[in-house]
Amino acid sequence: MTKEYIDGATAIARGALAAGCNFYAGYPITPATPILLHMERELPKVGGVAVEAEDEIAGIGMCIGAVMGGARAMTATSGPGISLYSENIGLAIMGETPLVIVDVQRMGPATGGATTTAQGDIQFIHWGTSGGYPIIALAPSSVSECYGLTRKAFDLAERFRCPVFLVVDKEMVSSLATVEIEAYEEVPVRERRLAPEAVGDRDPRWRPEETYLPYDFQPVDAVQPMSHFGGPHIVRFTTSSHDEHGFLTKDAKKVGRLNTHLDAKISAHRDEIELGRLDRQDAAEVLFVAYGTTARAMEEAVQRARAAGQTVSALVVQSLWPLPKTLLAEALQGIRRVVVAELNLGQYRREVELIALRLAVRNGGQPPIVEGLNRVDGEQITPEQFLAMLAGGTP
Amino acid sequence: MAEQAIKLTSDDYKSGVKPIWCPGCGDYAVYNAVLNALAELKVPFHKIAIGSGIGCSGRFPAFVKSYGFHGVHGRALPLATGMKMANPELTVLAIGGDGDGFSIGGGHLAHAARRNVDLTYIIMDNEIYGLTKGQPSPTSPQGMVRKASPYGTLEQPLNPLAMILAANASFVARGFSGRPKDLAVLVKRGMEHKGFSFIQVISPCVSWYNTYKKFRAIAKMLPEDHDTSDMGAAMKYAQDTETLWLGVFFERKALAYHELEANLQKQVHQDGYGVKSVVDRFLR
Repeated sequence: MTKEYIDGATAIARGALAAGCNFYAGYPITPATPILLHMERELPKVGGVAVEAEDEIAGIGMCIGAVMGGARAMTATSGPGISLYSENIGLAIMGETPLVIVDVQRMGPATGGATTTAQGDIQFIHWGTSGGYPIIALAPSSVSECYGLTRKAFDLAERFRCPVFLVVDKEMVSSLATVEIEAYEEVPVRERRLAPEAVGDRDPRWRPEETYLPYDFQPVDAVQPMSHFGGPHIVRFTTSSHDEHGFLTKDAKKVGRLNTHLDAKISAHRDEIELGRLDRQDAAEVLFVAYGTTARAMEEAVQRARAAGQTVSALVVQSLWPLPKTLLAEALQGIRRVVVAELNLGQYRREVELIALRLAVRNGGQPPIVEGLNRVDGEQITPEQFLAMLAGGTP
Repeated sequence: MAEQAIKLTSDDYKSGVKPIWCPGCGDYAVYNAVLNALAELKVPFHKIAIGSGIGCSGRFPAFVKSYGFHGVHGRALPLATGMKMANPELTVLAIGGDGDGFSIGGGHLAHAARRNVDLTYIIMDNEIYGLTKGQPSPTSPQGMVRKASPYGTLEQPLNPLAMILAANASFVARGFSGRPKDLAVLVKRGMEHKGFSFIQVISPCVSWYNTYKKFRAIAKMLPEDHDTSDMGAAMKYAQDTETLWLGVFFERKALAYHELEANLQKQVHQDGYGVKSVVDRFLR
């Protein structure tokens, strides 16, 4: 058994390289900068490109351009940078660009606490661009998971042709941890699906767009293969509502179909995305829910509680978005009281509570009490705080 | 496969989607100049990528038979940069207007220039926001009265050529839609230049600010003996507001961004660096 002592930034960068990432562009920002440093140092060694962009808008913009040109791209930033990414996140959704975006959360709002940890971007990344379309977000809770879930993020980006967030926080990225090499999970990363070669010579009569329609979705939740700029088909990429060729259109039928597609391709396939670790204990009536670094304190608290003879179940949510409804429904079975722990004022709790209420209405039972264990002072939630909640205390 | 053995004319580079600019718009001259340059340089369709942002210029890529991207407002340059770096074989053009390129996207201009990204950036400058119906732009003259500036603008116009010269762009030129033949020559020269080519085209807006007459009266080609390697002389002509000087102001040879990157990759290349060794060697 080989052990090493590394931080989350290193694991994320390794995961990206192992997933075939060959383009990175980003702007320095605490606490995401370590990822930029790794990519700047390592990418050229494998024939890749890393760019320190002039700002965050350019950083994500370059990534989108690179993906159109055939690259696998990643960018990383923190909350203030996500604000600047916002419009281009919409572009990546509209242009169906596979792209991994790492959000290393720090205390907000505004500049907040640049070196202070938080989990305050959970709703922000979900609804962080205009129009209201789904995104995918994964949240590792350990350094080894940073590696595996970065790979998973690249895989899902290819599967659904959309931006995928890897949501971590300052502590995850910059705190060192002892990791057993064997704990790194080699999550399979699928190859990019490309449109077949066009038929015929490339002469003035070349009309390969007639053999491949990049935005023709049959059925509406299907994801079209890509064709790169420089590839065998004339393709067009546009920020505007477009027809099956990629030309701007106002045809209500076509616009409606496109927008339905952008939602359906993800919403209809939640089961391929849901990820989490449910640790159920028979007869437990209390369920702890946490994600990211907060889950680590939770897992320690669960061990200590059980060692002391108490019963408690615990759920680590790894796929924050789309909301893992099946996983939450399973976790909520037989539960009387839920404690959702997070470094914000209850952003995920409201989702859990809604699911719990809906399940109770559907099944005709009494909904569980859903409480929050929250901190917004830059400190981590401790195992003792979880144990106090289990003992019936309030936060 | 024989790549375009047939002789191509500029018409062959039309996409089949007809431009929707107002009749008489200066942008038609730029469109024709680009089609002409592509035909003369015999660039295969599948090697051309044209990108834009938002504005009357935004629709440009749709009218050319090439790969095209139409990004969000002001961000054509970052997208074009990423694309060129991912696929250096592409001939990349970015098209913008004075609002897209000098206002909302102004922050990217100097950086594309200092990276010397090998692309041609054409700004169709009409000194007004045309698509949104006539608001003053960063190149509008001071005192311009419009609905959005009912008492006249207080701001001075930018001098795009002086700005881009200060950023040490490797190719700087200005054309005028009122002189389409000279413009066609400039666009071709810009595309032939290796590195970042910046071409400001005075492209009047017939609907909201028709400047054909004003600029015809003062437009003049740069003197034949203008030394395009002389930054000082270029800056002097750029700052002359009495005459609208046209032609190549400045040109210098320098390695393009993708060439520098390729050199770097060669220099730091490590044999056998792969997925397995990522874990073994990374950070050691």
